[in-house]
Amino acid sequence: MSLVHINIFLAFTVSLVGLLMYRSHLMSSLLCLEGMMLSLFVMATMVVLNTHFTLASMMPIILLVFAACEAALGLSLLVMVSNTYGVDHVQNLNLLQC
Amino acid sequence: INMFSSLMLASLSVLTLPIMSSILNTHKNSTYPHHVKNIISYAFITSLIPTMMFIHSGQETIISNWHWVTIQTLKLSLSFKLDYFSMIFVPVALFVTWSIMEFSLWYMHSDPYITRFFKYLLTFLITMMILVTANNLFQLFIGWEGVGIMSFLLIGWWYGRTDANTAALQAILYNRIGDIGFIMAMAWFLFNANTWDLQQIFMLDPNLTNLPLLGLLLAATGKSAQFGLHPWLPSAMEGPTPVSALLHSSTMVVAGVFLLIRFHPLMENNKTIQSLTLCLGAITTLFTAICALTQNDIKKIIAFSTSSQLGLMIVTIGINQPYLAFLHICTHAFFKAMLFMCSGSIIHSLNDEQDIRKMGGLFNAMPFTTTSLIIGSLALTGMPFLTGFYSKDLIIETANTSYTNAWALLMTLIATSLTAVYSTRIIFFALLGQPRFLPLTTINENNPFLINSIKRLLIGSIFAGFFISNNIYPTTIPEMTMPIYMKLTALTVTILGFTLALELSLITHNLKLEHPTNMFKFSNLLGYYPTIMHRLPPLANLSMSQKSASLLLDSIWLENILPKSISQFQMKTSILISTQKGQIKLYFLSFLITLTLSMLLFNLHE
Repeated sequence: MSLVHINIFLAFTVSLVGLLMYRSHLMSSLLCLEGMMLSLFVMATMVVLNTHFTLASMMPIILLVFAACEAALGLSLLVMVSNTYGVDHVQNLNLLQC
Repeated sequence: INMFSSLMLASLSVLTLPIMSSILNTHKNSTYPHHVKNIISYAFITSLIPTMMFIHSGQETIISNWHWVTIQTLKLSLSFKLDYFSMIFVPVALFVTWSIMEFSLWYMHSDPYITRFFKYLLTFLITMMILVTANNLFQLFIGWEGVGIMSFLLIGWWYGRTDANTAALQAILYNRIGDIGFIMAMAWFLFNANTWDLQQIFMLDPNLTNLPLLGLLLAATGKSAQFGLHPWLPSAMEGPTPVSALLHSSTMVVAGVFLLIRFHPLMENNKTIQSLTLCLGAITTLFTAICALTQNDIKKIIAFSTSSQLGLMIVTIGINQPYLAFLHICTHAFFKAMLFMCSGSIIHSLNDEQDIRKMGGLFNAMPFTTTSLIIGSLALTGMPFLTGFYSKDLIIETANTSYTNAWALLMTLIATSLTAVYSTRIIFFALLGQPRFLPLTTINENNPFLINSIKRLLIGSIFAGFFISNNIYPTTIPEMTMPIYMKLTALTVTILGFTLALELSLITHNLKLEHPTNMFKFSNLLGYYPTIMHRLPPLANLSMSQKSASLLLDSIWLENILPKSISQFQMKTSILISTQKGQIKLYFLSFLITLTLSMLLFNLHE
């Protein structure tokens, strides 16, 4: 792989790790999710443009659309959590325990 | 013409006259107590005549008067058995009661219900007479229950006092437990010998007498306060002193021993029951003597002394010597009643002070009481040639030379020396030394009633043993030859006890106060027996019965067995198995770790 690919791949990995390991705010995982989306978009666009795969040049756009929807969903969940607890600390999400 | 039976009946029936007088309402006048005392003295003199006739001729009589009822094959009638035991016991009991009645004329003088008191005492005496002259078990049971009831009424005489009521109830309860044994014996005799008459029982001589004799032993344990059913006797000291003197020293508590003596033909053949009585008596006499060592109430010490002597009587029955036990009953009545009367005189003089730690120096202040107390204590411990010697020393000798249980014998010997110890304790604390009571004293022993009654019992304590032993016909041959150390055993242990106690008591003048040791606490709290037995079994019984009655059906069978147990089980297992804890970060972390591991595995695998 070339350096550019490795760079984007590293950006994706960093965002993934940031999604899975966060301290207390739910917002930070949502942000990392956006970061993952962004790196995926860039990676897809680069691959399509470099291999002149014209028929698939719609894919990044549609990916972006779906990313926007899911971001809205995540934000609405965050807003619901923030409605009940005031803050979005993760330790509040413990209603399902035995 | 033989007036034997009619004289005896006359003496017995004359006792019932004052009771009948309550129908005519002549008992409201203030001379009623004097009438009662006089009647008892006449009854005593009248009963002496049949006794002399009996001693002269050895003729026993059975008076069978009135046929009451025949239930299928059981004939119950009113029958009096006037044999060796009852003929000698009746004059002794009447004599002691006469003195006690005279004493209580002085002691209960200021009591507004003194006529009722005398009536109760008289009823008690009548029921006791019924008991000792009974020929069948039914009449004996009537007398048995009668003395129990009168004991209840008399112990709770001052019914305003809670302790007195508790003590009376305690007496009834413990006696009732003994009555179970009595009724069991009666039922056995009804089934196996078809009778309640003593003659028929002895004639038939049934073979397996374990069960009825056990029942009779239980009855004696209850009535005579042997170990296991003994706490009622010290608690019964809540009653007035004449009650303690009459009931709980001479007459009622010997009813149990008397019952066992009556059945001696059956007990001769049963070695098991003999061993049981021997061990029971040995435990009783030692335990109560230990408890008497550290009591501080003068009446309680004398009560424990009674209990210890009763244990000695039971030991005598256990070594198959019923006649010696009976002799000890008669002699013991004299000096024990006198000891109680002396303590009553002391108590009244010190303005109702019963604690020996607050008496002292009465040696010079009350000479007559001092004399009689010392002579009574010496007679109790078996000083040679006083009354107690004739019975107690013979008992110890016979026990030493018989083929018996060595442990029981050792216990009895130790208890004999302890008798001397606590008698010395009473004398030391109550009589010797400097006075420890309040300076404003009301010491007065000049009343003729008091002096005459104690004087009579005093002469009895000194001479009665001699008289009775010389005039009765020979029954069982006592052991005449024994080594000299055995002969002197009783004397040596008694002297040992005296010297030891005197030495210890004199040391207490110089000791500093130290905390009570464990042994002291054991002895002072009656061996913890009342504390444990009055609380633990009732609590266990009541809580168990409450739980089984109210909780068992409803809450256990209907609720807990299926529904609640299933739900509990499910919850526990679900907690055990499931892992949901709401720890989101952990879950994300595990996701990441899994991802990383799988990447590594893929890349490094090929």
